[in-house]
Amino acid sequence: MAETKPDMAKWVEEASLAIGLPIAPEYRANVILNMERSLAIVQPLLAVELDDELTPAPVFQP
Amino acid sequence: MSDPLSKAATATEIACAVATGKVKAAAVIDAALARIKAAEPTVNAFTDIVAERARKRAAEIDAGQHIGPLSGVPFAVKNLFDIEGLPTRAGSKINVDGPTAKRDGALVRKLEAAGAILVGGLNMGEYAYDFTGENIHYGPSRNPHDPTCMTGGSSGGSGAAVAAGEVPLALGSDTNGSIRVPSSLCGLFGLKPTYGRLSRAGSFPFVDAFDHLGPLARSTEDLALSFDAMQGWDPDDPACTDRIAEPTLAGLTDGIKGLRIAIAGDYFAKGGEPEAFAAVAAVAKALGATTTVVLPQAAAARAAAYVITAIEGAQLHMARLKARPQDFDPDTRERFMAGALLPGSWYVKAQRFRRHFRANVLKVFEEVDIILAPATPRSAPKLGQAMMTIDGVELPVRANLGIYTQPISFIGLPVVAVPTRKAGAMPPGAAGAMPIGVQVIAKSYNEAAALRVSAYLEKEGVCVSAPA
Repeated sequence: MAETKPDMAKWVEEASLAIGLPIAPEYRANVILNMERSLAIVQPLLAVELDDELTPAPVFQP
Repeated sequence: MSDPLSKAATATEIACAVATGKVKAAAVIDAALARIKAAEPTVNAFTDIVAERARKRAAEIDAGQHIGPLSGVPFAVKNLFDIEGLPTRAGSKINVDGPTAKRDGALVRKLEAAGAILVGGLNMGEYAYDFTGENIHYGPSRNPHDPTCMTGGSSGGSGAAVAAGEVPLALGSDTNGSIRVPSSLCGLFGLKPTYGRLSRAGSFPFVDAFDHLGPLARSTEDLALSFDAMQGWDPDDPACTDRIAEPTLAGLTDGIKGLRIAIAGDYFAKGGEPEAFAAVAAVAKALGATTTVVLPQAAAARAAAYVITAIEGAQLHMARLKARPQDFDPDTRERFMAGALLPGSWYVKAQRFRRHFRANVLKVFEEVDIILAPATPRSAPKLGQAMMTIDGVELPVRANLGIYTQPISFIGLPVVAVPTRKAGAMPPGAAGAMPIGVQVIAKSYNEAAALRVSAYLEKEGVCVSAPA
């Protein structure tokens, strides 16, 4: 995880403004909680190093 | 052989009885509708019942029309499948205000073309963003083996309807585990086919990158019978494969000889309760599997599946989140909102990693044909339970019931969830009273191998499903 934890409340406030998604005050605490969970869950992905040639599969073939 | 009018009858038994004239399709439908009426106050599996339509169809079958391998078999579908004349709820209140479906979803049409009879739409977690089977608008689906417990989700009504014996066959969807989790918690066989194998046309989407549709049943034979009837290219679903259909029913009893079967280690051998690993061990023992394989970076795969789900799901619902946030289930609303705010770089990295993980897992499949893994980290939690203790760690139920299913659907591999432990073998509430499933995972497009293993386990009495 990043050494300095982001201010999630500020992130939610600014990002929701930027994308035009109003978040009512009564929803905010849970949105922040879910952002914090997401930040924790994503860490194993962020830790992976990928080669430059590894592009997303445009048409996914399992 | 069960009485074709009883709740224990499988789809295969019913189809056989109708085909040989032992019973009329009309009588089968009347019996199913009576069972639904009796069980619904307890299990709350259905949101819509199409009794008139079902009776009309049954009469047509009895008059010699729509004859096929599923003639007279009652089935129901998660309410994200289009049903002509009804709004496609997808577990929501909002969609009820939308247009009604002009025609049935593709898989409903395929099953009915094979003679099956739709009896209704089933409860589900709102917009499929759910592992619990709970829903604030329609009430939770309840586990027939203990109605104080969750069915698992998001195909909770599909799990409840089949486990209660209301219908022998139900369709669900599985984006991150939504067929396999309720199959595990309700003690059912569930098939999540290869990504793109079955058409999703005429179903309400969640995450296009991972959405799969498939059957839940109480026997492997019923999975194969319905799967075979639903295969085939469909231009209405851009992800649907143009491979020719590969029927599975005929080879179902071929046994496991020649199949290299291994157990998933590392990520899949931790983070669960002992019952989850005991289930895998029991299945592995019956199959003579002793080798362990590692799916490299499975934790990153779970993380990537989580990120893609959160961001795609949020984008799909953005207009509704802006216009009608108060009409969402609170348990999905704030997760969707959070998903809308996640960085795009996470999404792209997750999609790049998907190719990487697929390549590494397919390398593992050069050495094995089948991989066994837990389906859920525990058996059914109590309804309303927000947190659970897994391996001594307190974790949110919603985010964690799918930890073992998410990395697999992430790369679209076919899986049969098989039930262990005879539900009802122990008194309700006793430790070990509730069922728990195991994932039988195969290489892409090799559903046949996973189904063969499932059929073998069923024949050996290791995996058995009986209605509550």
